[in-house]
Amino acid sequence: MGKFYLLLFFVFIFISARAQDNNGPRITALGNAGVALQDVWSVKSNQAGIAGLKRAFLAAGYENKFGVKGLSNQSAVFSIPVKDYALGASFNSYGVSDYNEIKTGLTLARSFGPKLFLAIGLNYHQLKITDYGSAKAVSVDVGVQYQAFPNLWLASHISNPNQSKYDNNTDQIIPAHIQFGANYIFSDQLLITTEVEKILDAQADFKAGLEYKLVKFVALRGGISVNPFKQYAGFGVNYQRINIDFAVSSHPVLGYSPQVALGYEF
Amino acid sequence: MSFKTKLFLLFSLLVFSKVSFAQTSDDPDIEYIIESIASNQTQDYDYSELIDRLTYYKRNKINLNKTSKEQLQELVFLNPLQIDALLNHIAVNGKLINVLELQSIKGFDLETIKNLLRFADINTPSGFENFSFNKLFKDGRNDLLVRYSRYLEQQQGFSPAKSTSTSRYLGTPERVFTRYRFAYSNNIEFSLNLEKDPGEKYLNGNYGPDFSSASLYIKDLGKVKKLVIGDYSLQFGQGLTLWSGLSFGKGADIFTVAKQDIGLKNYTSINEFSFFRGVATQINFGKFDFTPFVSYNKIDAGLALNPLTNLEEISSLQQSGLHRTSSELKNRRRISQLVFGGNLQYNYKKLSIGLTGYHSNYSQDFAPGNSVYNQFDFTGNSLNNVGINYSYTLNNTYFFGEFAHSLNSGIAYINGLISSLSPTVSAVLFNRNYQKDYYSFYNQGIGESSTAVNEKGFYAGLQIKPDRQFELDFYSDLFKFPYLKFGVDAPSQGYDIFSQFSFTPNKTTRLTLRYQFQNKQQNDTQPTYTNVLAFAKKSNYRADLLYQVNKSFSLRNRIEIVQYHEENKANRYGFLAYQDVIYSPLSSRWSGNTRLALFDTDGFDTRIYAYENDVLYGFSIPGFQNRGVRYYLNARYNVKRGVDLWMKYSLTKFNDQQTVGSGLDQIQGDLRSELKLQLRLQF
Repeated sequence: MGKFYLLLFFVFIFISARAQDNNGPRITALGNAGVALQDVWSVKSNQAGIAGLKRAFLAAGYENKFGVKGLSNQSAVFSIPVKDYALGASFNSYGVSDYNEIKTGLTLARSFGPKLFLAIGLNYHQLKITDYGSAKAVSVDVGVQYQAFPNLWLASHISNPNQSKYDNNTDQIIPAHIQFGANYIFSDQLLITTEVEKILDAQADFKAGLEYKLVKFVALRGGISVNPFKQYAGFGVNYQRINIDFAVSSHPVLGYSPQVALGYEF
Repeated sequence: MSFKTKLFLLFSLLVFSKVSFAQTSDDPDIEYIIESIASNQTQDYDYSELIDRLTYYKRNKINLNKTSKEQLQELVFLNPLQIDALLNHIAVNGKLINVLELQSIKGFDLETIKNLLRFADINTPSGFENFSFNKLFKDGRNDLLVRYSRYLEQQQGFSPAKSTSTSRYLGTPERVFTRYRFAYSNNIEFSLNLEKDPGEKYLNGNYGPDFSSASLYIKDLGKVKKLVIGDYSLQFGQGLTLWSGLSFGKGADIFTVAKQDIGLKNYTSINEFSFFRGVATQINFGKFDFTPFVSYNKIDAGLALNPLTNLEEISSLQQSGLHRTSSELKNRRRISQLVFGGNLQYNYKKLSIGLTGYHSNYSQDFAPGNSVYNQFDFTGNSLNNVGINYSYTLNNTYFFGEFAHSLNSGIAYINGLISSLSPTVSAVLFNRNYQKDYYSFYNQGIGESSTAVNEKGFYAGLQIKPDRQFELDFYSDLFKFPYLKFGVDAPSQGYDIFSQFSFTPNKTTRLTLRYQFQNKQQNDTQPTYTNVLAFAKKSNYRADLLYQVNKSFSLRNRIEIVQYHEENKANRYGFLAYQDVIYSPLSSRWSGNTRLALFDTDGFDTRIYAYENDVLYGFSIPGFQNRGVRYYLNARYNVKRGVDLWMKYSLTKFNDQQTVGSGLDQIQGDLRSELKLQLRLQF
């Protein structure tokens, strides 16, 4: 049975070179167009975003991939502001019992005034396949966010620019990619975010998402990405210091991937 | 021709365009409305009915203080939220006293108001308030229009037959259209259309002109809100159960995907298919409106003998309305069709619910499909349809939907919403599910296919209008066809992405950029032992610039590029560029426009469509394929008050072609030119 999932897994990897990471339900529901957002889950999409957070956050999420039993993403993120700096940490475990990928990240972000955030992240990757062994690697992320106008954020993010790999015996890649994006805040109720992403050796993707606050504590979200064409939807409920977010993404061939996360604001 | 040459030519056109040319024609406002809603302009649908409707309201303006939701919906450019906001404003604040009040209504931007006031006002007289037969003939207005057009080159079908067995067109090569309208205020309208197509005879036996259509339409006579005797159309809900005549698909105006049903209307189009002939009325009982109808008509169909029962069965319904050869004439009005039923509509404040039910009966049975893909098609000779539709506005959101069922077979449903998320951002979402065995002969539900059958999908659209200058429209649509289709031998899917940006820096300049991408499955054209599906991708890029040079002259340029990609095949491209000169002086008897277009495409899959100016009520969106040049000159001359003349000359010259067209339409040589003349008398 494990072999079957292993096979399935490689099918998924083939179709989506980035399936092994997860940006949390809020950013996922926005079509993964999260590069210009400020959220605790920014530690995974663009580390610079955590420099915009005034308080410490902790969140944990679970995503099931394509309705396949046992194939999941389990993740946790944390960020804390320290004067002009912010520190962040992330953890993500992806796979099935016989195949597992773990990514652990540490982030240092700094705000240069209220309009400019910079960040650098360090990631430790572990890959483990039953009967085949394991491999390890380290990669670097760099991100920037800039508030060009009071309601417009521009951002850019580069992952693994030095193209570090597990080792020569492993074909599995750590994708090198670059993202540009903008987030436009129309009102307290509405924001629209977009992102262009280019993964090295894969096609460029355009993503867009929309978040609408029905009432102050309930947000509805939707998004798309065009390459492959995927649709996303989700909602978030904020009750005092607790956030509950839900998202589902729809792949035209592989089907639905639901996810949920619980967050706490200190 | 290389790309550089084309650019150079285009540039020279820009420079020299002021020199050659002549005068204006139809209405630029109406043209803009049509271009924004015509469903991506990929279907050759005749929107002349819409031009007719808008031109009518331009002359007989709607009284906003006495109007109804249905009437406002006829002005296709208003979205449901705007209509509700306007009616709500009048209900709360009383009658509009000044048109300036419109600016205070939520969702009404200046462009919408400007558009609306072209077709509506606040104190136009209406109603039978002081009606008499004397007045009817004194104040009634007559409008008579005759149009003549023909290709100047001889088509194969008109050449002498080589033998008696060769098929030839039996009639004459011209198209003649006669249109008469009588209108009294906004309440009584009599319409008559007579038409013969090229190749048809003037008189078919003793029946008169090839196509004739007439109707008497009476509005607002006490409880009788509408009454039509003659030809009429019916549009209810979202078009799944019953919708005939004009309808829109996915287009640049994202709001038109939510259909705005206008119920009963007189039929004034010259499409020879999909209308009713008989009597229908809409009667108002307070919050309820009841629309019963009955129709009996003969329609075109191909028949085939069923070897088992030895009975004739309907093998196909013919929608073209062409009766040129003896075989086409044989199928003319060959079967009879009886349709009757009704619609009950409940309207209370912002809620409306409608129930529709009708029965259709044909004189012959429909033959069962003989291929795998059409084996779920309708068979038999009678069908019962029922449907329920709703719309409801809650705060900033308009909900709409319909559920339809053909008795003893499948179902179809659609649910959606339009929401104004902020003053500058509006969103449209809808979900649809149409079963493969859902049947309706009057089904125009929104989707990738033109009828709501065998399709599931989800559409999301967004419009951002930060101010008067900028507008961004965007939509994406995912569709799945759960069963086979013609040319697609397996369940298939695809998606469609559209974005359009328009910039209007001032009243006389508009720049539009458009990008559309469609990816869908079809049978792989590579020969294999069995058909497999492959993705075909099509990208469209368009730039369009319209600007006014002075009070009389406007110029317009467009460049459009299409890229078509099939798996395992080289990319194919299409290119179209044109220059328009539009002359519309305030005080001259002459007006007109002219266009020179260059096209260079790699065949049918990369053809490009472009709206073309035409004589009034004329309509054309030709598709360009292969290589060549198209030119037209369109002029209007106002002889005196109430007498107008139109003339259009167009010419298409193809490079490296020995013939133009195919079959009986084929022309020897590389040129096809057409002349159109039109005379209108208003009295």
